[in-house]
Amino acid sequence: MSKSLLIINRQSPWSGPSAREALDIALAGGAFDLPLGMLFLDDGVFQLAPAQQPSALQQKDLGANLQALPLFGVESLYASARSLQERGLEQQTLTLAAEVLEDAALIALIDRYDQVITL
Amino acid sequence: MATLHVLSHSPFSDSRLSSCLRLLGPADGLLLCGDAVYALQPGTAQRQALDLMPTAIGLFALDEDLCARALAAPTRIQVVDYPGFVELSCRFDKVNSWL
Amino acid sequence: MKHLSVAGRRIELDKDGYLTTLADWSEPVAEALAQQEQLTLSAEHWQILRLLRAFYAEFQLSPANRPLIKYVALKLGPEKGNSLHLNLLFKGAPAKLAAKLAGLPKPTNCL
Repeated sequence: MSKSLLIINRQSPWSGPSAREALDIALAGGAFDLPLGMLFLDDGVFQLAPAQQPSALQQKDLGANLQALPLFGVESLYASARSLQERGLEQQTLTLAAEVLEDAALIALIDRYDQVITL
Repeated sequence: MATLHVLSHSPFSDSRLSSCLRLLGPADGLLLCGDAVYALQPGTAQRQALDLMPTAIGLFALDEDLCARALAAPTRIQVVDYPGFVELSCRFDKVNSWL
Repeated sequence: MKHLSVAGRRIELDKDGYLTTLADWSEPVAEALAQQEQLTLSAEHWQILRLLRAFYAEFQLSPANRPLIKYVALKLGPEKGNSLHLNLLFKGAPAKLAAKLAGLPKPTNCL
């Protein structure tokens, strides 16, 4: 049985390579059928904000890429309720169907995975 | 499964420390290294937050990084060297590096 | 620099034979790329190539084998979306070869 990995994704899509690196870990792991989860925390929840225009900054469309996660076998997607609320984002507008969890549930989530990495 | 969380960024420039403190489980540990040891600067909100953490949670700081920054750790914090860092990494079920 | 000549036009390729400029793709370009791989495109091939282009338009990335199979199964049913069918069509390397013929970038997560 492969070890499960939780990727905590906590940078905005525009702040540097972290958001894309987190996605690359997920896509590579998914291609190997690893049991993966992804948690959007802190500014990472901005990756799920609607109607972003990466072409305005000549960037690749991370939002479109994220939509492929379920096809790569990454179906366990979570977002921090606190991070969303602090940043004025609402669950129903998010571009991915992530399960929104309070801090206590996030502690249990991190506990459940064999390995965790935070980018 | 208890997690050792490893922080290495200054708590004065971003939210890693505050997010991490909220997500620590009852058997988890936190190791401060690099600029994260600035969280021990006396008289700061960050230091106070660490002082108030439940005693069951292991709090650690890397000796070399404290010395370099002329910081002293309070007794609540266990100071470790690099071999101690390795030992901690093995003691916990997993290590979560906040990159 | 590798290149193809299609209807008098010079089409640049990278060192692995993928299009340098994705906008250069056309059906005759796909035929020429296939010819370089000693492959003749059948209706079955075209069905997958069109689907792959739809995948790229939607997700802006080239799928690795597993997600490709999953996507084909989702859109065309399991009799097309399985590794045997796709391996037979694309010489055992469906993600890499089909992406090349469909004019997409080389799949980055295809190890």
